[in-house]
Amino acid sequence: MRKTIPSASNGIALKLKVLAKEKEDVRRKLVVTAREKEDVRRKLVITAKKLRIKAAQLAVTAREKEDVRNKLVKTAEKLRLKAAQLAVTAREKEDVRRKLLVTAKEKEDVRRKLLITADELKMSRKTLEKKVLERTKDLEGIRAKDEAILASIGEGLVATDKNGRILLVNKACERLLNWKKGETQGKLLSKVISMTDSTGKIIPEPERLITKTLKDRSTTTTTTTMYYKRKDGTSFPVAITVAPIFNGKELIGAVKVFRDITKEKEIEKARSEFMSIASHQLRTPLTAIRWVLSSLKREHLTEEQAKLVKTAHETSMNMASTIRRMLMISHLEEDGMEPEIEQVILQKELEKISRLHDAHRQRNGLELALQCPQDLMVRTDKQLLIEILDNLLSNALKYTPRGGKVKVSVAKTGEMIRIDVADTGYGIPQEEQKRIPEKFFRASNVASPVEAGTGIGLYMVYNIVRLIGGTISFVSQENKGTTFTLLFPS
Amino acid sequence: MSKHVLIAEDDTALADLMANVLSKYNIRVTITYNGKETVEALEKEVPDLLLLDILMPVLDGHGVMRFIREKQLECPVIVLSNLSDKETKDRCKEMQAQNFFVKNDLDDDDLWPAIEGYLR
Repeated sequence: MRKTIPSASNGIALKLKVLAKEKEDVRRKLVVTAREKEDVRRKLVITAKKLRIKAAQLAVTAREKEDVRNKLVKTAEKLRLKAAQLAVTAREKEDVRRKLLVTAKEKEDVRRKLLITADELKMSRKTLEKKVLERTKDLEGIRAKDEAILASIGEGLVATDKNGRILLVNKACERLLNWKKGETQGKLLSKVISMTDSTGKIIPEPERLITKTLKDRSTTTTTTTMYYKRKDGTSFPVAITVAPIFNGKELIGAVKVFRDITKEKEIEKARSEFMSIASHQLRTPLTAIRWVLSSLKREHLTEEQAKLVKTAHETSMNMASTIRRMLMISHLEEDGMEPEIEQVILQKELEKISRLHDAHRQRNGLELALQCPQDLMVRTDKQLLIEILDNLLSNALKYTPRGGKVKVSVAKTGEMIRIDVADTGYGIPQEEQKRIPEKFFRASNVASPVEAGTGIGLYMVYNIVRLIGGTISFVSQENKGTTFTLLFPS
Repeated sequence: MSKHVLIAEDDTALADLMANVLSKYNIRVTITYNGKETVEALEKEVPDLLLLDILMPVLDGHGVMRFIREKQLECPVIVLSNLSDKETKDRCKEMQAQNFFVKNDLDDDDLWPAIEGYLR
């Protein structure tokens, strides 16, 4: 601002003074301003620093925030999904609830129906129970009867399946063999019951009746005395019959019935002993009669007397041989016979035997041929061999019609002797041939027309042949003839 | 001198028949009808041969043979029995009987050939 100056020089000096002062003021003011500016700048710098720091902090915060945001976004996404799922679940639950409602309704229906049905069932059940009770009573009655029948059978009874496993046994069977109840169920019969012959030899499985029945599908019976072993090892004689069981045509098993024949054996033994004593008592007087007749034959007799004495002598001889056979059979059946081995000259014995049949042979116009190597010696039981040959020859002559031929031929093959007795006789009917070894068997085609026979001859022969370790077989054709073949060790 | 045969046989008819057969061969025969009589006869005179039955009353043939063995008599014995079982035969063999014949199997003309060998 400009001020009015009072004098010119004074006025200029003063003016300069004022100006200097003003300038000083201005300078001072400028210094102040610079200072202030410096302060401001410093402050600004500080502020800038602060701001930078702040910016940095803000940047961190922003990142964190971004992270958080991201997380939140993710969480939100998850929640959204969850919500969606929950929505689905809720829908499903709703569905289920609805279905359950329906089901509950249906259940209720069913329950009602069931109640009705239950009532009906109760009624039916009662009726049924009543019926079952009645039927059970009936069945029990039948079963009890069956069981009582089975239990009351004195004979032992065993039923097996087709493999020979035990299905059922009765009380008598358990009692006879000393088994406890039910002990044998399902076991193999042949393993449980051991069977032996009279010498104590165990009968192998293939030879047992049950095996034969299951194989041949036919009934089998014991022909010789067999023994069963009890559980304690003791044994007893048995008679056994085994029959097949069929379901329609299918073989499903076998049923065996057996009985203890100890008593029968005792009776048989007593009978045998009686026979033996009776035979001995008969033998001696018969020998006397025979001797009388034999010596009479040598006396000078008229033709008529000679004929009568000859007949009487022959009859006494036949009687003697019958008694001998009876005795032999009783010994055989007692199982008490043992062969006595000695040297036998075959030809000599054969000639002796054939002489016994001379009378009969001549009467019936039969031809007899003997063919035997001279001096052929064998070691065997002479009496038993004679018995066999006498029987075979006697049969051949007896069952060959007038004019026929009988031929006896002997041959040695290795260690064996073979004797064939062949005839041109009536023969044995095919269907009866397997009965030949039976006691008292007589072929139907000869039983009536020919002379008396007992049917014990061949039964005895088959038993004796066994004793001398031999075998016997035959071929026969009706009205053509029969050939018996005896094979035995020399 | 003729040989002496003692026949011990309880069947009288058969004993007589046997004696009859032997007499034809110049044999002196004594007959006893039971074991006791036989033992008594043996005590009196030991024969050249004894034909001995087994089944006899009072004392049987086995008893007679036992007596012979005990007394150590020099007397051959031939058993003529109608027992034909192995046990009897074995017992006779044990008692040293010379032979054993079943009467039933012998005819009258078989008797002499069966025994003559023991009388030489």
